[in-house]
Amino acid sequence: MRHFLSITSTLFLSLFVAASPVKASVLGERVTPDDIQTGGLLFQTEDGYRQAPTLGTDVEIDASGLIARTKVTQRFTNPTEGWVEGIYVFPLPEGSAVDSLRLRIGDRVIEGRVEERARAKATYQKAKREGRKAGLVEQERPNMFTTSIANLGPGETIEVVLTFQEELRYDAERFSLRFPLVVAPRHIPEAEDVQDLSGTGWSTNTNEVADASRITPLVSLPDQAPNKPAISHPVRMQVTLDMGFPLDVVESSSHSIKVNRGKGNTYSVGFTETSVPANADFALEWQPLVGDAPSAALFRQSWKEDDYLLMMVMPPRAQETNLPRLSRETIFVIDTSGSMGGESIRQARAAVSIALESLRPEDAFNVIEFNSVHRALFPTSRPASTEAVVQAQEWVERLQADGGTEMRSALEAALQVGSESRAVRQVIFVTDGAVGNESALISLIEERLDKSRLYTVGIGSAPNAHFMTKAAQFGRGTFTYIGRPEEVSEKMRELFSKIEQPVLHDLTIDWAGATVEAWPKRIPDVYREEPIMIAAKLPRSALAGHKEVLLRGRRGGETTEIRLSLSGGRQHDGISKLWARRKIAGLMDSIHEGAAMDKVSKEVADLGVLHQLVTRWSSLVAVDVTPTRPVDTELDRRSVQSLLPKGWDWRKIFGDVPPSPDRAGSKTNGTTPPPVPQAAIGQRMASAQIGRLPQGGTPSALLFLLGTSLLSAAATASTIHKRRS
Amino acid sequence: MSPRLTCRIISSMVMIGLALIAWSAWIPAKALLAQGLLAQAWQQTLLGEERVRPWPWADTWPVARLRTTDGKSLYVLAGASGASMSFGPGHVSTSAPPGAADNVALAGHRDTHFAFLEYLKPADVLTLETASTLTRYVVESAEIVHESRVDVLERTGRSELTLITCFPFDAVVPGGPLRFVVHAVFDR
Repeated sequence: MRHFLSITSTLFLSLFVAASPVKASVLGERVTPDDIQTGGLLFQTEDGYRQAPTLGTDVEIDASGLIARTKVTQRFTNPTEGWVEGIYVFPLPEGSAVDSLRLRIGDRVIEGRVEERARAKATYQKAKREGRKAGLVEQERPNMFTTSIANLGPGETIEVVLTFQEELRYDAERFSLRFPLVVAPRHIPEAEDVQDLSGTGWSTNTNEVADASRITPLVSLPDQAPNKPAISHPVRMQVTLDMGFPLDVVESSSHSIKVNRGKGNTYSVGFTETSVPANADFALEWQPLVGDAPSAALFRQSWKEDDYLLMMVMPPRAQETNLPRLSRETIFVIDTSGSMGGESIRQARAAVSIALESLRPEDAFNVIEFNSVHRALFPTSRPASTEAVVQAQEWVERLQADGGTEMRSALEAALQVGSESRAVRQVIFVTDGAVGNESALISLIEERLDKSRLYTVGIGSAPNAHFMTKAAQFGRGTFTYIGRPEEVSEKMRELFSKIEQPVLHDLTIDWAGATVEAWPKRIPDVYREEPIMIAAKLPRSALAGHKEVLLRGRRGGETTEIRLSLSGGRQHDGISKLWARRKIAGLMDSIHEGAAMDKVSKEVADLGVLHQLVTRWSSLVAVDVTPTRPVDTELDRRSVQSLLPKGWDWRKIFGDVPPSPDRAGSKTNGTTPPPVPQAAIGQRMASAQIGRLPQGGTPSALLFLLGTSLLSAAATASTIHKRRS
Repeated sequence: MSPRLTCRIISSMVMIGLALIAWSAWIPAKALLAQGLLAQAWQQTLLGEERVRPWPWADTWPVARLRTTDGKSLYVLAGASGASMSFGPGHVSTSAPPGAADNVALAGHRDTHFAFLEYLKPADVLTLETASTLTRYVVESAEIVHESRVDVLERTGRSELTLITCFPFDAVVPGGPLRFVVHAVFDR
């Protein structure tokens, strides 16, 4: 037996040796936001990149009304003996509006302001050349920003203060906010990557790097190697809740917190520890006393010539539970084009098969498959008798993926109302969205939708999430993404439990004739207990004579009307910015609906400058008036030559980006996090980039290593064996 | 343990070890051989046939031919699934079709067809040929991204070629979360 043990242990040892190089490079491991340690400001120096010691991060969040304003203060020291430029990349909650940047070096305070992006960049570059201290905040993606700091002197400490604003989430009578603590700049979590990079054989020349600022986050820091202690990144958190009503529960599923009640109905929340390592997002939830949950809210701000309103209404729901389940006609459309081959078609078949089980005898249904042509199971919808459902399941089971993607005719067929009409008509569209004529299809949906609702279900590793999100938005349904086979049944059940309920739809607002610019332009349907939130801008006199507006919607065939008084309401800062942020989101959407890019970019840039928001086309720039770096001293970036390949724009490398719903499940203190509201998932899924890029490696080297390890283990074993016998 | 049993264990380890080595060699061999078989299917494609399967049971077909200036030529297959990528770089079906004036994304294995990405330099020229088009692209930049960055596949409305492979190039275990992405733009 001892022989055997020694053989197995040799085998394990060799397996371990085979696997360890990968382990050591860390790149083989999946990185989740929870794994990523916060980064910091990176400086380029002669001997590579160095991370400025972070002296700490202070986060102050003020939540009041439906808005949270967050101020993040970070201090960095330039550890080098040269003048450096530092860059960092950080994620923020989707939809957050960055509106202020302040740099403080010693006694000097430099305030930033928002300018059109190209101009801001030029201002920054000029200041950098002239040896002035400068900062630049640019938006890379809706939830990703970069900050550059120029001309930090040897040993100098800089304080960077960023402020942003976001909307609070309010669902099922609970308010919540999340702060990505990994905010603080993120980059590659481990240092060995540098070796991998320099091993890629790229040649070097910094001067030609069009945008050197983009490179920094990529390259990690030699001095962060695992044998040195990770740079500690303590975070102090101070949250003030001033909701205007007493709270019942204030809790965090992510951190241990202490709550103090202040004057009136204000509450202050902090970490139990004075500071915590920044390795998990901070999640905070609070709830009013039972029965005190607001059913409507109105906040207003007068800014420049106009009034800005933020309205929140909880749709009445008393009679909701008594509403009978409405019979429905459900059309399943399944993409069987070649791109769905393999795993995708199996997932799609499973998804439809599960969905078919949810039908009841009073419902009607049909199944349509499409590739180069479309083909329906029944000529028109049929009642969902047991036989019909079984027949459909067998039919679906036999579907194979092959051919082209002629989605248009399939969509037309699915939106065609036949004789078996029911109170509710739902189209469940299962596809990877590999289509070329997106905007034509979106227009088709808009034109033919009528009473139908389109729910898109994305399948495969990198489905065209953008198209499916838009299709669902115009189809007034939701988009569900199924990334892995084991998620199929859970995700489909989630979708069905959501759409079983009567929806409040066709929501419109009667502004009593006033000229009002409200966003979103089209109010999305409301599922379950979600509030309706509307931001509006109106001339100051517009509502002089009318003190209320009327919100109309339909649910289960009945009209629901909600009267909203516009007198009163609390004055609140930030409403105008919130309105602008929503308008910008709407404008960005319009690009996908065919609006001209140059027109939209101009409009977004103007809004950004007017409301002082960082957008894709407007950036925050802060420049010191007096130069501090002697102009004959070089701003240190020579180091780049030793690391960066010629002319390459090494751009950032991020961890796992999207705030995925499953992260809501992470917790540290054993309390069960409240269920993530379905609608919130839908919305977040809709906005986040999803899916994965194709995997591009073979196990060839691994197999070879395993093979040789086995052989050497066998050799060792046989030597031992010979010696024994 | 009887010596006999030990012998058997050792010999089966040798067998399995040899089998694994043979398998590891088969992967690049298959990658090479398939490109040869694809030449025939590509000729037919050029003559106007569509979806020419290179062998009867294939679930993919050549959609384009990618060439580098140093004479490397690769047949690009429809779909970036594991099945097609073992025979050639795959066209990511959600990106623009080859030949379109938009973002065309191709994915390949870092250790076979797309190993050359590591050595590409800015200003290198790549050509992409379809049955009816020939597009020249100039390498512009490269980046290393997390696999979740599917936005590199997005349609940008400008004529460009995006090449994707796994990173790091010399990782032993496949399936890591990083991707090496090369951006090339239409050469006017």
